[in-house]
Amino acid sequence: MTFLKTWFPRGAEFIAAAMLAAMFLTFLLQIFSRYVLQTPFGWTLELCLTLWVWIVFFGNAFIVKERDHVTFDIFYLAAPRKVRQALALISAAAIVIGMVWAFLPTWDYINWMKMRKSATLKIPLRTIFSIYALFMIAVAARYAWRFYTVWKSGPPDSDHEIPGHEPEPPAIRHGEDAT
Amino acid sequence: MSFELAACLVTMFGLAGIGTPIGYSIILASLVYLGFAGLDLALAGEKILQGLYKSFVLLAVPLFIAAANIMNAGTISERLLNFCVAAVGRFRGGLGHVNVVASLIFSGMSGSAVADAAGIGKIIIEMMTKDGRYSRGYAAAITAATATIGPIIPPSIPMVLYALVSNSSIGALFLAGIVPGLVMGVVLMGMNTYLSTKRGFALEEPVPLRKLPKYTLNAFPALMMPVILLYGIYGGVTTPTEAAAVAAFYAFLLAAVFYRALTVKSLYSIFVESARSSSAVGLVIGGALILNFVVVSENIPGMMSEALVGLNVHPLVFLLGVNVIILLLGCVLDATTIILVIVPLFIPTCRELGIDLVHFGVLVVVNSMIGLITPPYGILLFVINAVTGIPLREMISEIWAFLGVLIAALLLMILFPDIVLWLPRLFGYQG
Repeated sequence: MTFLKTWFPRGAEFIAAAMLAAMFLTFLLQIFSRYVLQTPFGWTLELCLTLWVWIVFFGNAFIVKERDHVTFDIFYLAAPRKVRQALALISAAAIVIGMVWAFLPTWDYINWMKMRKSATLKIPLRTIFSIYALFMIAVAARYAWRFYTVWKSGPPDSDHEIPGHEPEPPAIRHGEDAT
Repeated sequence: MSFELAACLVTMFGLAGIGTPIGYSIILASLVYLGFAGLDLALAGEKILQGLYKSFVLLAVPLFIAAANIMNAGTISERLLNFCVAAVGRFRGGLGHVNVVASLIFSGMSGSAVADAAGIGKIIIEMMTKDGRYSRGYAAAITAATATIGPIIPPSIPMVLYALVSNSSIGALFLAGIVPGLVMGVVLMGMNTYLSTKRGFALEEPVPLRKLPKYTLNAFPALMMPVILLYGIYGGVTTPTEAAAVAAFYAFLLAAVFYRALTVKSLYSIFVESARSSSAVGLVIGGALILNFVVVSENIPGMMSEALVGLNVHPLVFLLGVNVIILLLGCVLDATTIILVIVPLFIPTCRELGIDLVHFGVLVVVNSMIGLITPPYGILLFVINAVTGIPLREMISEIWAFLGVLIAALLLMILFPDIVLWLPRLFGYQG
């Protein structure tokens, strides 16, 4: 249990941060190869795009918390606790059903992409896109767990807070600080 | 409207309305659409994956996010602020002007309004409210208002998102934002002067002019950042996406080597937080990609443009109408959702009516940034509340004057497209 609670999230954060750092360094290498060496490496761009796809889906599967998502929660927050519990249950159930419903067809598509190889590194696209299948499984599992906890102990109040502060609801979330 | 589209919209608005993350709401709604239309459910995953994997421009998003976080963690913001205090702090409403000028400079380094408010904004609010010289509400309100300039002056994450949905040139969009950003700065300074004089805000102790060179030198490397970025993009050295990597690298060099204000530990947490933000935004972008597929399959933009062109709507009336809609949506939705989900609906009509897409893009971005400070749902207000603890009520009571002048500036940009298009045309933009 301590593994799941502390080490797993830390490991996931480390991997996500490492992927972002790798993407950043690859980009610098690309600029360097083009303007200093005058012979651009073809593979840098492809690696960056692969890392980008992986950061998005790995991140949403393992490190993005409920409160980090871009949401529209004016009605949700205005509702009484009982109603909020029902709304949170509906959200979680809908996500689980959607992910499970689409999983097999989506996996068929991803599996079929093993025929196609990426342009320069010749990696099968199945390998690159497989993160999406992992994302679907992880998201289904996470929201199934959320459904269970919300059912048992009501909607968590921490979904809209920033650690270390006591902001008034609704507070800022990670997805929104991009703009 | 087909049944599957109706089911899709009901699912999307229903789920998003009860607080389901927007990205998941859109993905689930598109699954409902595909299911009822008898199409392969895998199309959702396929469009999202292919779209993310092929959009080179999107790579700028995580890099700009990382760059902004690095700048806030180092002491770059403080140094810039000291320079601004020395330069414009001596006038009536001094710290208000410092606020505007600091935002103008910072906006040339970061592409995010939230980064501006959370970083430089937090420090300047502390300076303004010390000794009670300015009320908390006023300090917070002007900081929120000036932070909206961040994504107007390049670089800009919202403009990257707009370029994705409209297929217009990022280079032209970035250039087109410079003059509108300055216009916004000028109107905010005007309002600040008016209010400071009317309320008799205290004057700052002027920093002696002979000390100005020292502060300038101290802030000089940071001041060079916008120059390097713009030269990189328009001198043809880097693409706008690569400029994002250069910005992050330069910020890193400044913070870690030059100012020595970055530890390994803080750098690590910057990367973790940037990855988190990028993933959350990436999910909404993915949702927009599949929603776009649904919208195009149903030919919604085509029907809209037919209806509007058939009605013989004047382009100016159309622009004003769209801007009113976006302004209203901005009160309840965040900018990412507006640009990725709502704006694509209007783009074919713009083409039909002969409205320049770069002009339209800047209007949309300015408008959705104003949406960041419109109550009840203004993300910049929430950020400032979170980092300073100033109550939303106090901010909102002071925000109206600044909101008013920003909307007036937007109206100017609608009526006089040259404010937006003059600079890109000077650099050879054909439009």
